[in-house]
Amino acid sequence: MTIEVMVGNKAAATAAKLSRVQVAVAFPVTPQTTIVEYLNEFITKGEMDCEFINVEGELSAQVVVQAASRVGARTFCCTSGPGCLYMHHPMHDTSSLRLPVVMAVVHRGNKGMQPDHTDLMSHIMTGWIQWYVENNQEVLDSIIMAYRVAEDMRVRIPIAVGYDGYILSYTAEPVDIPDQEEVDDFLPPYKPMPSLMPEDFDPKAPLWWRVPWEEHHKVIVDAKEVIKEVNEEFGKRFGRSYGNGLVEEYRCEDAEAVIVVMGTIASTARDAIDNLRAEGKPVGLVKLKCLVPFPYEDFQRIGSEVRAIGMIDRNVCLGVGGVGHTFIRNAIYDLEERPRVLGFHAGLAGKEVKVSDIERMAEKTLKAARGESISPLVEWI
Amino acid sequence: MERLTIKDIPLEEYTITPGSACQGCGPALAARLVFKALGNKVIRHGVPSCPDSVTRTPHTFSVFESAGAALTGISRALKVLGREDVLAVGFIGDGGTYDIGFQALSAAAERNEDILWFCKNNEAYMNTGIQRSSATPLYAWTTTTQVGPRGRGKETPRKNLPFIIAAHHVPYVATASIAFPTDLIGKVLHAKRLRGFRFIDILCPCPTGWRFDPSRTIEVARLAVQTGMWALYEIIDGREFRLTYKPKKLKPVEEYLRLQGRFRHLTDREIEEIQRMVNENWERLLKLDEMGEFPL
Repeated sequence: MTIEVMVGNKAAATAAKLSRVQVAVAFPVTPQTTIVEYLNEFITKGEMDCEFINVEGELSAQVVVQAASRVGARTFCCTSGPGCLYMHHPMHDTSSLRLPVVMAVVHRGNKGMQPDHTDLMSHIMTGWIQWYVENNQEVLDSIIMAYRVAEDMRVRIPIAVGYDGYILSYTAEPVDIPDQEEVDDFLPPYKPMPSLMPEDFDPKAPLWWRVPWEEHHKVIVDAKEVIKEVNEEFGKRFGRSYGNGLVEEYRCEDAEAVIVVMGTIASTARDAIDNLRAEGKPVGLVKLKCLVPFPYEDFQRIGSEVRAIGMIDRNVCLGVGGVGHTFIRNAIYDLEERPRVLGFHAGLAGKEVKVSDIERMAEKTLKAARGESISPLVEWI
Repeated sequence: MERLTIKDIPLEEYTITPGSACQGCGPALAARLVFKALGNKVIRHGVPSCPDSVTRTPHTFSVFESAGAALTGISRALKVLGREDVLAVGFIGDGGTYDIGFQALSAAAERNEDILWFCKNNEAYMNTGIQRSSATPLYAWTTTTQVGPRGRGKETPRKNLPFIIAAHHVPYVATASIAFPTDLIGKVLHAKRLRGFRFIDILCPCPTGWRFDPSRTIEVARLAVQTGMWALYEIIDGREFRLTYKPKKLKPVEEYLRLQGRFRHLTDREIEEIQRMVNENWERLLKLDEMGEFPL
């Protein structure tokens, strides 16, 4: 174990190295580019035994990892914003063919260079597990955990680990780097299923093809249990874990209201919650890490414990609303006594979200919890 | 290429017959010949094409536009796993090669990936029902280049893809025909022994799309070559050029065109225009053959 001060993109590349990735592929796109450069540096220095392919675009990048994963290599790719969108077509097959590809998505919004979550959220229907992480340590840890989850035979679904561009990609923080032996112990070598090698080929075996919709959906829903297991085991081995792997609760004890955030806003929100708690205001924080599969059970439990939830979405599904807001309202609908659910759109196109902004959103949510009339229910910050 | 006689063609069969092919299917025969020469120590990659299920070998598929990238992934994974004894083979239609797959194809060729790419070229999108591709020849009728008061079939000649691939300076580029099996298999066996990016474009007549009787597939394929509509050659390392079939005199293109419903509408003048193009092209190819050089 060593502590190194590193930017988020180096944390992602270091995680790929520690995970002994065998085929890595990328096309440069800001703010993901330096991951590609770090990987190239690791390989050139001989620190990493990996086939590295500079492809001509992200669509090809996705297909290269898909095919290499099918043959039996552990694969890694990374992208941002427009590149992430360009990958859309083959991403469906990576999941439909149940290939455990892991991809870092360095968020860049769909309207410019600055970060929001609209890039990865545009892929909600592709069947990828989606994690949104908070800091550089979580970038590194989550990529290693992602291989373990994705390659678990109960899952075999690709995972995208998203983190906010610029805010993490180019910002240095201390990162605790686990030893290679410890990671090897946690992450056994990858075996493709079924084998594609000629000596194993059975011409009478059923054609290997896209998994049917119903089974595909159930596998992703059931992956929640594996994510929780892996997060817990990671915690035991490395001394760090992230809530239950799906959501992370901060100062939620006896809370009348909680705010829910994703990605780096969680760090800002911790300060805001500390300030409000110091003033005696019973407000907690829930970090939503795993958007797909959506942790319905956790929000039903949280929803039965508080009287109001304020979802801060760094996204908008145009003409529909905030993705987190919509999903949480869906989750709590079946509760006999439902909390109120407020929506906030904040931080889109990289707009700064200050501690005071979050305090105001949390206080509004607390007012709703205490039965005050609130207008509007959904607000743009 | 290797010089063979018909007796040298391997007896083993690796194709699914009849599979999803029509009677007289050219691409199905191309698959049969190609995989006889390659054997089964391959991973065959396919994208949507007609017919799409062709061999009893390990195989993968991916989205239409991506064969170059998928074959790259297969080849690099085989390398990193120490399995370079297994060949990454693409068996891809002309749409997946000339059109939608062109970007990934060009990129894989430029990186000189260790890949064997066969284009089963039936000169249109036959899987979706005979729509023009950039491999469709001048004046050919398709369902998207129709014939009527405002249309004479396809308005432009086909893209010269083998030359474009050769301009990537790859180890091997060749054209072939199902009517010349020893020439085709000789090229496959030669390509199999090389490393790096290898590309063989095989003209495969499609009775359904070209509108001729399924019993005449070989005759149509043979005439394409004998008239110079589809010349057989190979280009080595993007430098050496060699015609592998050189008749003393080409047959008139009319003999080839008149067999096919897709050219039924052609006027004498249009046939003359095609004949002129073929003659000019043949002269150029003879010159390249004489020099032995590919001029790019």
